[in-house]
Amino acid sequence: MGSVAGPTVWRLFDDLDTPRTAAGQMGADLALLDEVAAGGLPALRLYRWAPPALSLGRFQADADVDVDACTRLGVEVVRRPTGGRALLHGGDLTYAVAMPLPDHAPSVDARYRMLAAGLIAGLAALGVEAEVASHAGPAGPVCFTAQRGADLRVGGRKLCGSAQVQRGPALLQHGSILLRRLAFDETDLVRHESPAARAEARSRLGSATVTLAELGAPTDPREVADALVEGFVRAVGVRMTSAPCDGATCAGAGIEVETSPAGATADR
Amino acid sequence: MDYPQDLRYSTEHEWVRVEGGRATVGITAFAQDALGDVVYVQLPDVGALVTAGASVSEVESTKSVSEIFAPVSGEIVSVNGTLEDAPELLNSDPYGTGWILTVEMSDTGELAALMDAAGYRTLVES
Repeated sequence: MGSVAGPTVWRLFDDLDTPRTAAGQMGADLALLDEVAAGGLPALRLYRWAPPALSLGRFQADADVDVDACTRLGVEVVRRPTGGRALLHGGDLTYAVAMPLPDHAPSVDARYRMLAAGLIAGLAALGVEAEVASHAGPAGPVCFTAQRGADLRVGGRKLCGSAQVQRGPALLQHGSILLRRLAFDETDLVRHESPAARAEARSRLGSATVTLAELGAPTDPREVADALVEGFVRAVGVRMTSAPCDGATCAGAGIEVETSPAGATADR
Repeated sequence: MDYPQDLRYSTEHEWVRVEGGRATVGITAFAQDALGDVVYVQLPDVGALVTAGASVSEVESTKSVSEIFAPVSGEIVSVNGTLEDAPELLNSDPYGTGWILTVEMSDTGELAALMDAAGYRTLVES
């Protein structure tokens, strides 16, 4: 739990069109965390999931997963390095921020608030008025049925769930913004004691969450991603550069980036 | 914030209680407050060798997963199994029943690199 002052330049990794397995996505996020922990610049990565994937929290029990259902529905299962509970990806846009632990935000709450400002600003540009959720909701195997200070909600319903991990002097926060619903949800993919319990969980999940589509907001991943980038720039006070990280490190981590000559980076 | 006088403290917000050649380790009141509600503590294996400054455990709160670093080197001789069912003890009693592990120290000289209560207080309140 150390802390160091962070620079205000962030590397931007636009991975919306970069195909990766679910494990590859988590590996890419972890690689950024390791780079930042080793002294690299902070990074923002934006990506989607294809095929759909169910991500489990760092210490969530494997037994929560209905493996047969995941196989039948073509859903990959992966474990996140961060905490929390099961989250279905596919209808969402995922962001990941790796950065040094900020001196001015000593608590986990404060770090969430700092990054939430960027997310809220980005969503506002899409006409969505989101706020930080307070702690509420029952504990259960599904992430989006619980609302915590790490999450953003609209009209009391969760739109964005986030989770953090700290390693040495750096943190990784990634989170999922619901663009639209898939034909199935988390309750189809985790185990329940009975069909009635599953039905109740499905009802609770539906009423506890909201998507950009349901809000009448833009759902094009490119448009949402661009808004988030601008939100971080304006509200968090960072400058984005498309400059790649060290080529060897990124190649080793499976992150495909274009190398560009010094001075030819595109700032935004 | 509470800083018991009889403990030594690391810059990573762990505390150490020394009894003979053994060091009991936990996280400070400041650390548990920063983490929020702890929901899981990954306990290391008894018998494992640890090195000062190396990650020895992970703690999940409702908001984050964080590493716990060994403040001293040696062999882990006991872990607090109570935390498996009651991880919230890290929040409610961080210096008491929320202890995490005990190390048989291989180099008690490492204790000199840790802070006393006044030094740690200065670190977190400055």
